[in-house]
Amino acid sequence: MKMNIQFSLNGKSISRDVPTHRLLLDLLRDEIGVTGTKEGCGTGDCGACTVFLNGKPVNSCLVLSGELDGAEIVTIEGLKIGPELHPIQKTFLQDGGAQCGYCTPGMLMMSKALLDENPNPSEEEIRFALAGNLCRCTGYAKIVQAVQDAAALLRNR
Amino acid sequence: MSELTAVGKPIQRVDAEEKITGQAVYGYDLVLPDMLYGKTLFSPKAHARIKRINTEKAKAYPGVVAVVTAEDAPWTHGETVKDKPFLAQGKVRCIGEPVAAVAAEDEDTAEAAVKLIEVEYEDLPVYTDPEEACKPGCVEIHEDFGKYRKADFIVKGAAPNVAEHFKLRTGDVDIGFKQSDVIVEERYFVPIIQHAAMEPHSAHAQFDKESGRLTIWVANDAPFRALHEITEALGMPKEKIRFINPLQGGGFGSKGGLKVEPIAVALAFHTNGRPVRVKFNREETFISTLTRHEAVVYSKTGVKKDGTLMARAMTIYWGAGAYAEKSPTVCIRGSLPAPGPYRIPHVKVDGYAVYTNKPVAGSYRGYGIPQGAWAGEQQMDEIAKRLGMDPIAIRMKNMFVEGDISYWGEQLHAVGLKETLVKATEAIDWGKPTKTAKPGVKIGKGFACIQKPTRSPTTSAAGVLVNAKGEVTVLAGTVEIGQGCNTILSQVAAEELKVPLERVHMHQLDTDVIPFDASTTSSRSTYHMGNAVRRASIHAREQIMEAAGPMLEAKVQDLGYADGKVFLKDQPQQALPIGEVVRRKLGIHGKVRGDGSYTYEIGKDLDLETGHSDHASAFYMYATQAAEVEVDEESGRVRVLRMSAAHDVGKAINPLNCVAQIEGGVVMGIGSALHEELVIDNTGKVRNPSFLDYHLVTSLDTPELIPIVVECPEPEGPYGAKGLGEPGLAPTPAAIGNAVTDAVGVRVYDLPLKPENVYWAIRKKKKDAA
Ligand code: FES
Ligand code: FES
Repeated sequence: MKMNIQFSLNGKSISRDVPTHRLLLDLLRDEIGVTGTKEGCGTGDCGACTVFLNGKPVNSCLVLSGELDGAEIVTIEGLKIGPELHPIQKTFLQDGGAQCGYCTPGMLMMSKALLDENPNPSEEEIRFALAGNLCRCTGYAKIVQAVQDAAALLRNR
Repeated sequence: MSELTAVGKPIQRVDAEEKITGQAVYGYDLVLPDMLYGKTLFSPKAHARIKRINTEKAKAYPGVVAVVTAEDAPWTHGETVKDKPFLAQGKVRCIGEPVAAVAAEDEDTAEAAVKLIEVEYEDLPVYTDPEEACKPGCVEIHEDFGKYRKADFIVKGAAPNVAEHFKLRTGDVDIGFKQSDVIVEERYFVPIIQHAAMEPHSAHAQFDKESGRLTIWVANDAPFRALHEITEALGMPKEKIRFINPLQGGGFGSKGGLKVEPIAVALAFHTNGRPVRVKFNREETFISTLTRHEAVVYSKTGVKKDGTLMARAMTIYWGAGAYAEKSPTVCIRGSLPAPGPYRIPHVKVDGYAVYTNKPVAGSYRGYGIPQGAWAGEQQMDEIAKRLGMDPIAIRMKNMFVEGDISYWGEQLHAVGLKETLVKATEAIDWGKPTKTAKPGVKIGKGFACIQKPTRSPTTSAAGVLVNAKGEVTVLAGTVEIGQGCNTILSQVAAEELKVPLERVHMHQLDTDVIPFDASTTSSRSTYHMGNAVRRASIHAREQIMEAAGPMLEAKVQDLGYADGKVFLKDQPQQALPIGEVVRRKLGIHGKVRGDGSYTYEIGKDLDLETGHSDHASAFYMYATQAAEVEVDEESGRVRVLRMSAAHDVGKAINPLNCVAQIEGGVVMGIGSALHEELVIDNTGKVRNPSFLDYHLVTSLDTPELIPIVVECPEPEGPYGAKGLGEPGLAPTPAAIGNAVTDAVGVRVYDLPLKPENVYWAIRKKKKDAA
């Protein structure tokens, strides 16, 4: 069944006729063509597809389009603050938080969610917050470092 | 040599920015105009004859454009044995083998239509154990093996289902064991695991009838191998086929060879020129791409009282799964150095790559080294214990050093092993008392050493363009899998042309324009492609200097080169930027092109009877890793507290990148040591094809990591560099295994070191003691 939904994506309003069972992840990637959000599993187990839905991080592979009417969605493409990289993007660059980069958009969104809530997380809190975001390349050390450094940047602003 | 300006510097990755902004386009992301959606029908049977396939209903389903089976795609492929059909031909050999496929207007339609394909099977005996599958009387999974096209070095074993029998014969092990004072013999087991790159597999294909050209977009780690295999299979000329590589979200060996590609190609011939995308979801990626070889390793070692190694005999059964893929070469390259990086006068190794009815095993980061090390390095500790010797001392006594002749007959150079051993063990305070543990918890330390060859002989070629703005474009067939090659190769070009790194960019990988490269595998790229890019850059520089001569009214020998400029040696202020030289010579749109190629010429090929070669590998990588672990005696749970990893990289072109490779490798190795295991039941069904059930290491389970870069320069390598990508996880399980034994006094022979395996080993020891 198709339905018309209107929502905001990275601040732009979008109106679409979509099958209600279409996953937000597929809607973004295949239909709207915004592919920064990644698919790693499609079953809610890897975090690669993390986006903000009404201000909260969600696995977009678990969200149906039918739920999106009136929603506000922010993806990795909307993480920059104006033309500037978000501090977490800066520290991922500088610390080497990305290797293949496939988990990176999800990691960044989840890290931002953590920092929004907790501006001064301990290493353990960071590791806990990112436990649902799998990375096969980095061994996580540089990612955790990047989150710590971003927290410091944000605090010193 | 003049001072290095770009090489050796801890430079931030050149590809990071597009990755942190979501702009990077991976294979799985690609949406092509007017694209159709493909879906694959996989075999539900591990071994069966196909009696009938009925595609009528699927074809009639509204929105379906094409349905294909082996009838439409009667081709086979394979790297060294051409045994794998594009789509199952007459029989299926594992659950997850592609049988048919659909292309439709949208994903939902493709999914619905594929379910309408009816297949009737007749069951055949299922073999899930490589040791069992080669027993006399077993049915051949590939009854036509003899008729397959294959590489000349393939030695079919005498027993059923043996696709390759590798033999290494040095000295006489019977004599060696007779002369030994202590002999230790044991069986070790390494289960199937999977690469689990975060990007699942996919391929896009389009066939244009008018031009007769076939284009394939795929994140494949060896596009030229893929091009060759598709060309060979279809009997089409190479010029008609083009591979374009979007970015790759990890690979670790899984993304070489052909898996989704043949399905996309088979469909593309039936879609009237429209491109088709075939994606495997995570479950399909688990069951129908590649796995790491399970291995049963029998190892027997003889040693003198003073710790001198006398003999080592190993028999290794490599579970190949349903098709040969890289099994013959994993069997050869994994079995050859399995006895370890030691001087041993008498060695005998028999490696068997055995077909089973399980998912196909292929290359996996480490290429057979982890399996051999799991056995060999634990046995070294066992021997040390029996002799009452320190595990470091016994290795120091026997380990390869510069100039040694290896047991396969090659003189070794640039051997940084000792330094890795010293540094890795020091880093975890070897020999000093461990922290006191909580009651019921024991702490132990262990380490393991490895030596890894690289695929040889192979070729890498590269082009380097310099335009009239002085910008440099590198044409290299090395695939950026995440390992950082784009950064490393940019650094090499920047070094030779003395330009800032921002002026260098990597051309997208497209086989129509990029020079040949063997593969992005085997940790070969920094060395081979590094050399090729270096040569191409020098070639470009020479042409620029040649052209600058008349412009500066000087002979070439009177010119100097620095800082992206050609200058007069005796009047350095008289200088021309390289872009200016190109502009004056060729105009504002002109480009100077340098070309370079590097082939490592090996000596004799491996002798098929003895396994000997005077030059089996372009270079060897050496590493030692050391672990401190905590074992809960009640539950059998193992936790790694800290892990050091010292790797001889020859020369670190980018120290940051070296550390990144080591950390990632070690953590992957920890997963394979503690919990990773693709569980397959005796019907051939994968029981845990999801990230919920196949447990990867998470941010919560990583210990303190101590990466250590050791530099023992390789004379032939660019600036002395070797490779690094693969060894990162190779000694890890054995190091952890040795630490567990140190902690609780029992040895666990089967990976992974999951709580029940450790628990039962502890229980058994307690029972034996009682
Ligand atoms: S793709 Fe959504 S959690 Fe993995
Ligand atoms: S950087 Fe590759 S999966 Fe995280």
